[in-house]
Amino acid sequence: MKTKIPIGPFHIGLEEPIYFKIDLKGETVENVDMINGFVHRGIEYLAMQKNFFQNLILTERVCSLCSNNHPFTYVMAVEKIAGIEVSKRANYLRVVADEVKRIASHMFNLSMLAHLVGHHSLMTQTMEAREIMQDIKESIWGNRMDMSANTLSGVKYDLDEGQIEYILKRLEELEPQVDELMDIYFNNKVVKARTVGVGVLPKADALRLGITGPTARGSGVNNDVRDKAPYAAYDELKPNVCLEEDGDVHARMKVRWREVKDSIRLVRQAITNLPEGSVVTQKRPHIPAGEAVTRSEAPRGELIYYLKTNGSQKPERMRWRVPTYMNWEALRVMIPGNKLTDVAVIFNSIDPCISCTER
Amino acid sequence: MKETLKRKVKSEIKERLEPHSYDLREEIDEKGNIQLWLKLHNRKDILHIAQLVRDFGGRCVIITAYKKDDHHVLVYHLDIDGMLLNVEVELFDNKVDSITPVLDSANWTEREFKEMFGIELVGHPNPKRLFLDESIAEGILGEYMPLSQAMNGAATCCMWEKIESERHQNEN
Repeated sequence: MKTKIPIGPFHIGLEEPIYFKIDLKGETVENVDMINGFVHRGIEYLAMQKNFFQNLILTERVCSLCSNNHPFTYVMAVEKIAGIEVSKRANYLRVVADEVKRIASHMFNLSMLAHLVGHHSLMTQTMEAREIMQDIKESIWGNRMDMSANTLSGVKYDLDEGQIEYILKRLEELEPQVDELMDIYFNNKVVKARTVGVGVLPKADALRLGITGPTARGSGVNNDVRDKAPYAAYDELKPNVCLEEDGDVHARMKVRWREVKDSIRLVRQAITNLPEGSVVTQKRPHIPAGEAVTRSEAPRGELIYYLKTNGSQKPERMRWRVPTYMNWEALRVMIPGNKLTDVAVIFNSIDPCISCTER
Repeated sequence: MKETLKRKVKSEIKERLEPHSYDLREEIDEKGNIQLWLKLHNRKDILHIAQLVRDFGGRCVIITAYKKDDHHVLVYHLDIDGMLLNVEVELFDNKVDSITPVLDSANWTEREFKEMFGIELVGHPNPKRLFLDESIAEGILGEYMPLSQAMNGAATCCMWEKIESERHQNEN
């Protein structure tokens, strides 16, 4: 029997507004159509009315879970146009902020997976472990989400010995918990039954659609910007690219957990080898006319900024693209052929962020 | 390795495009990442470039549209194994050929500049609206819209007064 089921645009199972039209045959999804645009706010246009310092604040608020990557990539574009050199110390500190955000973001998504497969104690356990990262953020940057770490020509914060010791101590606390959680997520029967072989994205489709981030790496495609086009201090602090071949929800979950482990290593390596130097090189830099494109690896994948300036205080044109913008189309490949109950699990596996996709 | 790829891409560009129909410059940052900036004089050539990127196994990252004087400019950001190829095309007739049949990854971004800037898109397989509702005119991003009109009086008492007056009308 064929039925049509609408989910959304506002639905209790969705975190953000999106409208799915699902064609069902029995219990199996035959076709899926997605309609977006419910949170389009015209931030891109607003960014062109603000000056270069105000845009630091604005870009940080485009997205919550990858909030640090937006000002990070934006300042790199401004610095490229103005030819500003950033000190080595500032570059290391940028990596620290970014990796801390990555751990927190991945763990949030993974706990949502546990919630959706119905393993609620696992969800609370993951969220509790993640709380260590939230504590670090609050203690060092003064905020649990928007860290406001980046500024033009450097960073707004510095780490002294006490703070470094504190972060190391908390990471020491986190790592055994992560190991334990990884073991449960990788081998637990409930998790496996709902994730293995579900929502498969073949490698060829991932390449064709230009999929990025952990979603691509779960299908064996490496386009990690940190590895392919290193920026900040990623030429010295090399990330291990975590690849899986299966392309299902389980594979994407494994990629995220391995990246959490790798990010812990990167944070440790960065804060124990912090180079000396000032964190900011220029207080009020002049931004000449020019254009630049910069990229960074946000928790969800590749983030790109295009900036065009004309010598005034405001950008002439600024355009950015978040990873979910690309990964969205992958759902059309992943969802058909699966059970209706798996739609939410698959949807969550691309780690969607709708408000930053629509801006 | 990055150098070899760059040389290969550059020689392919030279082979596939007419001489003097483009300007090419390259940019290398302090980490050794290469970006190519290509300016096409003929907007039709974008199809050749899309085919080139496809042959190298690349993808479309995003396309930026902006208004310059009286016409639109598109900047295609294409990625070939970590190397960015930025292609600038000026649209004097406000029309452009879709590269989605060649590069699937350009699907959304082409639909977005179509609806936001009102650029005519030729040959897109699915030219439906992406974010904006059908009732909103294309090219809305370039228009001046007063806040009071955009919010339909929702921020002031106007809306409630309107509802109140209409309610009483219905009663009669």
